[in-house]
Amino acid sequence: MAYVRKDAATLTADEKRRFVNALLEVKRRGEYDEFVRTHLAYYASDGERGLRTAHMAPSFLPWHRRFLLDLEEALRRIDPSVTLPYWDWTRDRSARSAPWTADLLGGDGRRSDLRVTTGPFAYREGNWTIRTGVTEGEFLTRDLGRRADPIALPTKSDLEQALKEPEYDVAPWDSTVTRGFRNRLEGWGTGRGSASWRNHNRVHRWVGGAMLGAASVNDPAFWLHHAFVDLQWYRWQRRHRGARYLPATAPGPGDEQHGRIVSRREKLPPWDVTPQELEDVGAVYRYA
Amino acid sequence: MATGIQRSPKAPRNGRTRRDVMARGALAAALTPLLTAFRTPRPAADDGASFDRVHRGRRIRGTRDADGHWYVTLDGRPLHLMRRADGTWLSMVDHYCSYPAPLDAARAAVDALAPGEQLRGGGHGVRA
Repeated sequence: MAYVRKDAATLTADEKRRFVNALLEVKRRGEYDEFVRTHLAYYASDGERGLRTAHMAPSFLPWHRRFLLDLEEALRRIDPSVTLPYWDWTRDRSARSAPWTADLLGGDGRRSDLRVTTGPFAYREGNWTIRTGVTEGEFLTRDLGRRADPIALPTKSDLEQALKEPEYDVAPWDSTVTRGFRNRLEGWGTGRGSASWRNHNRVHRWVGGAMLGAASVNDPAFWLHHAFVDLQWYRWQRRHRGARYLPATAPGPGDEQHGRIVSRREKLPPWDVTPQELEDVGAVYRYA
Repeated sequence: MATGIQRSPKAPRNGRTRRDVMARGALAAALTPLLTAFRTPRPAADDGASFDRVHRGRRIRGTRDADGHWYVTLDGRPLHLMRRADGTWLSMVDHYCSYPAPLDAARAAVDALAPGEQLRGGGHGVRA
């Protein structure tokens, strides 16, 4: 029986408490920091050599889907009633709306040092010390909406630009493609300034602090954001019936992307799973 | 196929040089000239000159060695940069958008940090 991932704005007080407590326990056991390190290690950029799996590649969506399932399994070992909630940033658009409440993720960072001081992940609570980070601070940081130079979250219309794409991804399968659902959703644009940060990327920037850096997993907002991104893959599949993960086969030896991306039936490191096996997870979970 | 190019989650991603990128570009260019004509990374000259300046009270330094590798520091701590296929740069601090040159990426990293927030020491510097 598939379990249900819910909109964070609709969770009951008990559901929020159970989710938070399970996260804190995963952190206490030392498992959480391993998730931070895995995401750091698999962030490879497309201007350099080597295989890309998590970002700037077709497997952006299945990689994060499997990554979320790993965390969700860790949470459910602690409390089988817990599922990952999602943050609908097209609807909950302010620093005071869900999920930034004291009973879920806590609020914005304070102005002086961006330190989050409210909610269960505030440093003074003693349960969320950052050990694997880009900067020295051991406390979680946020700069919701970027106070010094405000930007807005992506809109429904921005998301629509991705959802209407008929193809999953297109050659050369990297951050430079201007068509295809994957990069329209991942959000690597062209040109300079805020117009070039779209959808998924723009949300990381809007949250700021830890979420903007290579160790973005340190902010539990990472999971709620990526659950909503994951939901878009499902919505895109429903709209474009029969459309599949691309590329179906690996680029050949003469292709610049040979050995640098994961095609539909290849293993997706670090797991023993293929993108094809992650295209339909309806037997595991569904979205409410 | 993916065989042989897997790496463990903890494997350091160093040892990849910009020269390798250029060499690979040259090989690919021989095989698929039309594709790589506009996909080879931009020449190093576009990355700007070495720099040493203060931005919002933070010292940012960037030097490029004879092989074209960039080393960028922020208040003396290494700021790791990555390169995108379009030739732009992103840093560990600001990982979800990119900038035209290493100096721009270093400035953006300072802008994103809190006042006085220091990079963690012990990491590697720029690998490019």
